[in-house]
Amino acid sequence: MITAGIDMGAKTIKVVILKDNKIVAQSIILGGFDQRTAAEKIFSEALEKAKLTRNDIEDITATGMGKKEIYMHPPISANNEITEVSADSRGATYLFPSARTVIDVGAEEGRGIKCDDKGKVIDFAVNEKCAAGAGSFTEAVARALEVKVEEIGDLSLQSKEAVAMNAQCAVFAESEVVSLVHAKTSKADIARAVHDAIASRISSMVKRIGSEKEVCPIGGAAKNKGFVDSLKRALELDKLLIPEEPEFVGAIGAALISAKNK
Amino acid sequence: MMEMFQEWYDSRHEYVKEWKKKNKNGRVMGYFCTYVPEEILYAANILPVRILGSHEPQDVTEPHIFGMYCPFCRDCLAQGLKGRYDYLDGVMIAQSCIHIRQAFTSWQLHVPVSYSYYLSMPHNLQSKHARPYLAGELAAFKKSIEEWTGEKISDAKLDEGIELMNKNRRLSKQIYETRKADNPPLTGLEAMYLAVSSQMVDKKEHSQAMEAALKKLPTRKLDRETGARLMIIGSEDDDTEFLKMVESVGATFVIDDHCTGTRYFWNEARKEKDRLASIANRYIDRPACPTKDWPDRTRLPHILKLAKDYNVQGAIIMQQKFCDPHELDTPAIQNMLKENNIPTLFLEFDVTVPIGQFKTRVEAFLEMIGEEDLF
Repeated sequence: MITAGIDMGAKTIKVVILKDNKIVAQSIILGGFDQRTAAEKIFSEALEKAKLTRNDIEDITATGMGKKEIYMHPPISANNEITEVSADSRGATYLFPSARTVIDVGAEEGRGIKCDDKGKVIDFAVNEKCAAGAGSFTEAVARALEVKVEEIGDLSLQSKEAVAMNAQCAVFAESEVVSLVHAKTSKADIARAVHDAIASRISSMVKRIGSEKEVCPIGGAAKNKGFVDSLKRALELDKLLIPEEPEFVGAIGAALISAKNK
Repeated sequence: MMEMFQEWYDSRHEYVKEWKKKNKNGRVMGYFCTYVPEEILYAANILPVRILGSHEPQDVTEPHIFGMYCPFCRDCLAQGLKGRYDYLDGVMIAQSCIHIRQAFTSWQLHVPVSYSYYLSMPHNLQSKHARPYLAGELAAFKKSIEEWTGEKISDAKLDEGIELMNKNRRLSKQIYETRKADNPPLTGLEAMYLAVSSQMVDKKEHSQAMEAALKKLPTRKLDRETGARLMIIGSEDDDTEFLKMVESVGATFVIDDHCTGTRYFWNEARKEKDRLASIANRYIDRPACPTKDWPDRTRLPHILKLAKDYNVQGAIIMQQKFCDPHELDTPAIQNMLKENNIPTLFLEFDVTVPIGQFKTRVEAFLEMIGEEDLF
């Protein structure tokens, strides 16, 4: 059976195609202003990779903030929709059956999910009206430090000193970064301060729902080694269950829910 | 038949202006808290109108109310500063929380009216002194009203006021009872319009509209599935946009614990020889506001009973930003409901809310409590 999951995220769109619950293709693209067109483009690309056509896909589940853009809307016509929370939880427990806490840090939202052994959501928390627990914060700081966002993780691992980040708001935190720059704080220490701040926000949110030992961080921020390192410290854990490609977990979950649907 | 209540809600100010034209000798009292004894006002031919906000961004209260005070009290004051309640003859409050009291005192200062009154409603309702204390305060309030209007309020008039209020409470409760059905004949949004409008229009007219509705409800069917049966819990709440959104994604609110809802009308005043004692007892015995629910949390068993009677599958706790009394109750409520297998979703509200973010969380909550096996 062939199914697809499409995660219409705030910044990027992810497509995963599954054949008998095994990944046969996955693709990612920037959503941009016209999410629908971007989704159509990346969906065709994934189909090409898998050497399939739309008609071969038996069931498609849409998830993410922009899911309505493709739900029941041709040519993709996803026939099912699910929230990010359920998709993340299902995807993470597929990759790591032992995972009981899923932490999804995307561009605009941070989420903590507590789930059972089947990937069913027991409880969840989402950051509210604040970007200080989300990936776009790292991007803003990378810009201020004039480093590439891909490099900020490694940079932060070189930090020699923990510096406190006091501002609770991403916008004010950015101006605090400027103060730190003026105080001649090293880029590495600033990078770590930012990751520590995001991790602390996320971990306090996760503690609200009750954190388990088996934690799986997903979403774009899970690719950031500096953030993962800060998250381990914040959660007081030596090891986290990190997927090879953490951005695709929601789309995998959506495709699995499609498979269950059939 | 349910449309009338929304019409009243939407055109609350026009309604009162019309009322004044029809009742030349009548006066209108704006009030800030549901501990205000409307029985005494009706007995004096005064129309009590609850002051609520308009859920719009505003920029007029900053000089008067500190930023850490709740957005609701600021929204209420904004209505006065913008002149939307310019038909009021008086304003009053019964002590509940300091935030709404700040809105009241600012109103006294900056929105002139010919009469204002602060009713010293006791906080510790569980003290044996609360009842005689409140009865005494009600006597002082009655006297003040008599001086304002120049007319004595007789026991017969008080009886009329009590019966008018009791009848409205009884009918509201009867309509709410119909929501116990497997497929409730009215939505949570309609129930909200019904309950909130009762605080804005003449109870006599409102009761007539409810009597008419009660005749038709038994055969009424909603044009959609009931979906998940939800309860909503919190302070005041007339966020109609939020209810509409939740009820559009596969759920129906079947019961609430709000001071704009059940807490307002759930109990009646009993017949007693001393009318003021009867009214005092009614307000002491009503489902409590968390500012007055100490040392015992009487709200807990009450909320659980409502949840069970109305067979709810989940509860949404709406937290008005900066409302400390409600925030303090939340962990206890969540734990109690959890022990009874009723999951809760906690959402922090402002007077204006980004509905998109809430929608994702509500949908995820419905998926979580849903019967269907996604996994």
